[in-house]
Amino acid sequence: MTLFRHNKHRPTRIGTSREDGFSPETRSHLSEKSLERNRLDGFDYLTFILTFILVGLGILTIYSATYNPEASNWLTGCCRKQLIWVMIATGTGVALFWIHYNIFYQAAYPLYGLTILLLLAVEVAGSKHMGATRWLSFGGLNVQPSEFAKLSVILALARYLSDRRLPPPYNLRELLTPAFIIAMPAIFILKQPDLGTAMLIILISGVTILIAGVTRGTIITLGLSALSAALVGWQFLHSYQKQRILTFLDPEKDPLGSGYHIAQSKIAIGAGKLFGKGFLKGTQNSLHFLPEQHTDFIFAAYAEQWGFLGVLALLALYFTFLFRALNIAMEARDSFGSYLATGIAAIFFWQVTINIGMVSGLMPVVGIPLPLFSYGGTSMLTSMILISILLNIHYRRKG
Amino acid sequence: MTNVNNSKKSKREQILSNGRIIIVIMAVIVASITLRLWYLQIVKGEYYSQKSQDNRLRNRRTRALRGIVTDRNGMILADNSLGFNLQIIPENIDKNSIAKLATLIAKYIEDLDSEMIVKLYKKSSAYTRHRPLTLKKNLTPDELARIEARKYELPGVIIETEPLREYPYDAICSHIIGYLGFINNRELQLEAYNSYARDDLVGRTGIEARFQSRLRGQDGLRQVVVNARGRELETFIVAPAVSGDNLQLTIDINLQEFAFQKMGEQVGSLVAIDPNNGEILALVSTPSFSNNLFSTRIRNADWQRINSDPLHPLQNRPIQGCYPPGSTIKPLIAAVALTDQIINEESKFFCKGSLSLGRTNFRCWNRYGHGESDLFKSLRESCDVYYYNLATRLSIDRIAAFGHKFGLGVKSGIELPGERSGLMPSSSWKLKNVHDQWYTGDSLSVCIGQGYLTSTPLQIAAMYTVFANGGTYFKPHIIKGEAITADHNNPVETLAKKSGGTKIDISNRHMQAIRKALWQVVNNKRGTAYKSRITVKKWEMAGKTGTAQVVKQTLETLKKVEDTPWRFRDHAWFVAFAPFTNPSIVVATLVEHGGHGSSIAAPITQQVIEFHLNKVGNLNK
Repeated sequence: MTLFRHNKHRPTRIGTSREDGFSPETRSHLSEKSLERNRLDGFDYLTFILTFILVGLGILTIYSATYNPEASNWLTGCCRKQLIWVMIATGTGVALFWIHYNIFYQAAYPLYGLTILLLLAVEVAGSKHMGATRWLSFGGLNVQPSEFAKLSVILALARYLSDRRLPPPYNLRELLTPAFIIAMPAIFILKQPDLGTAMLIILISGVTILIAGVTRGTIITLGLSALSAALVGWQFLHSYQKQRILTFLDPEKDPLGSGYHIAQSKIAIGAGKLFGKGFLKGTQNSLHFLPEQHTDFIFAAYAEQWGFLGVLALLALYFTFLFRALNIAMEARDSFGSYLATGIAAIFFWQVTINIGMVSGLMPVVGIPLPLFSYGGTSMLTSMILISILLNIHYRRKG
Repeated sequence: MTNVNNSKKSKREQILSNGRIIIVIMAVIVASITLRLWYLQIVKGEYYSQKSQDNRLRNRRTRALRGIVTDRNGMILADNSLGFNLQIIPENIDKNSIAKLATLIAKYIEDLDSEMIVKLYKKSSAYTRHRPLTLKKNLTPDELARIEARKYELPGVIIETEPLREYPYDAICSHIIGYLGFINNRELQLEAYNSYARDDLVGRTGIEARFQSRLRGQDGLRQVVVNARGRELETFIVAPAVSGDNLQLTIDINLQEFAFQKMGEQVGSLVAIDPNNGEILALVSTPSFSNNLFSTRIRNADWQRINSDPLHPLQNRPIQGCYPPGSTIKPLIAAVALTDQIINEESKFFCKGSLSLGRTNFRCWNRYGHGESDLFKSLRESCDVYYYNLATRLSIDRIAAFGHKFGLGVKSGIELPGERSGLMPSSSWKLKNVHDQWYTGDSLSVCIGQGYLTSTPLQIAAMYTVFANGGTYFKPHIIKGEAITADHNNPVETLAKKSGGTKIDISNRHMQAIRKALWQVVNNKRGTAYKSRITVKKWEMAGKTGTAQVVKQTLETLKKVEDTPWRFRDHAWFVAFAPFTNPSIVVATLVEHGGHGSSIAAPITQQVIEFHLNKVGNLNK
């Protein structure tokens, strides 16, 4: 484990004198070169363009999903709100871009602590909406701390893993601290109750830990314990959560009850066939058969209008985006950047997979939006910040 | 992900090798999602496409208006009005708020029970949730106002308007018109009711039942685009509703009403026929019932009351009641005897009050005897012995054959359901059904209208149209001319019997003799119905009384009518036609347990005839 050996086998640019953690060298690099390359020659245009294609498609679909032929102004309601949020989020992203992502290294633990505090605040003073306490009200603004928890956890995890001197792969005992970092917010969120986001945090962190490297025995043990945890956890689920899972297993049992959402969204997707019904022509969507057609079920509205070809295009966009994100992770200048970028890629990957899986009837219905696509300010803001960090990591890779 | 050699690698190496593996895993998962979508959109695309059509397009029926039934003068006997029904649409009501809603509804509508509403709501299955459930039919104006005023707090509650059948004359002609009832589950399974749906009304009796398919019309079909909440956004009319055919009856509702009132509390029937064509002018059955009670779901108490009445008000007596015709049969027997030349007008038989046949003594109603009786006297005074004598000389099969020509023992074919044929016995009938040969004694009973012989009041009236018009039998019918479609002037099909009637083989001389005798019954001082004669010369009436024995009476038990318990008293008949010279009406009245024909049945008949002639007279003026 020497510099020499490294350079011999992998003559890549990530080989630095002290790869473990955030080196003083990186800091000097920051001071020397920080904005010398500010002609944007290292900017990842592809990710940037992909992001705005997805956001644009999303707004178009939100527009069609909330389309009201009688409304005089198309720029009303959800569509307008979403546009405002996109602008706010882009602004935040652009602002963050100019700051070296090192700041996240430093802010990782404080942010993590803040997130735990916010989750505690939700527990104490959160506003109830549809039976779940997930929101905090700041004036007229509703904030969902669990959205930010995803970022906080991967930041804390990335910092912890990059700080660590012990070389990977890790065994079970060595993963105890990361497990604690993951579990604390996850349990709070599970209590809200928001099974979906809690699971999501675990899945995302799993990817980060996987890329860091774990022993084979650990994977097998974790897999088995996850299975038994699921069996035990079943007892602690809320009845509506159980219902959702049961309905998922047998949707025909209650086609107008809990299964209604899945059944209607499958109809919407299927009815799109190869070419789709065309823009604004989705009847499942416009006649409100689709539930939550502009938020969690927006993919069904999209699929109904654009068909399988449209779906292929959208999945291709998302996959290219994910591919880029993981490449950024592999090209990052330090392991913190790698872990962080992997975490970000994992957030997008799991959200896209779970969301599309659930609307197409592959997974139980959990309230997870389609990133960059679904209507929702917090989600849009988080996504943009994440992408900004990705671009940041790429921009400041070792060149 | 894992280090194969389990030797420690650098973080960089781990990231690079594990990153590639993660990309591959992600690619596999994205591919499997793509596969799922390919399955949904390409493999099952057609199926879901159809489902999405079914989702938004619903077929709704537009109820056709039922045809209107009028009397011969265009007075409406069965009409359509508007009923307001209270309904809920389960789909639009939240599971959690149904209990509260039910309590509210129960508060506004007294006879609804909140628990029942919740139960009904819960019974609606996943596939019927969009269908409205009727809580109460035919709201009163009060209830309607209460619901309409509070609609804002009753989501999912709707008021549906529905054509409602209405019978302006109610009990007066409820046996003719009949009533409607909801189609039942058993009928819905039958082939014949293929085009019907739940909650459809079908005619249960009378004209409503007999002409169900014509009156019903054709329900229209609307295809509506609905959104997820069942709200109708767009409507395409696939087929407009076609109103049912209107029907005109031969009934004169004024005469019917008058006759109904004259029958009053009496149990029995009254049939009035135009002898020139067989059109039925009145067909009264008492006691009656209100068919309007049936036009909505009949209340159980009402049904119990009507159904358990010992007088069977639902029975349509003029066509379903089979009674011994009593002496009203005598003109027919005389006609057979005259035609077969067993007697002539002057032939006389001596009546000593009874006739012995073998060991049996057949009594005349007048136990002191009528003395020498000829044809006229035998009818005028209704001498039984005269007809006993004819019976010994006539073959029953000959009488039966003749009787059939007059419509006895066969269904007249009147356009009403449930008609009974009565019985015109013959020797072969007896052999087959009683397993015994025909005895002369049987003939004796038949010739005075007793024994095996039974007939409906309609048959008796129809029989007398032959004597009224001088020899032609018209099948009695109740449908006037033609059925008329909804636009009121486009005849579709002629329902009336086009046959001009059947000429019966009696010589005019014999016919006139019988007619003269019938005239004497009413207008001769010794005639049995002299008290009920019409004194206006041009309206002179002819007719025949009759008494149908209910219980065989012997000399010893012969008592005054008043002393006999009501249900053992004889039925009273009176049949008459007028004006004698050119009859325009035949009326047959039967009063159950009315004692002698002359005392109860004859006055009613006389008044009905007078009413009719008055009306016709006024019209002709």
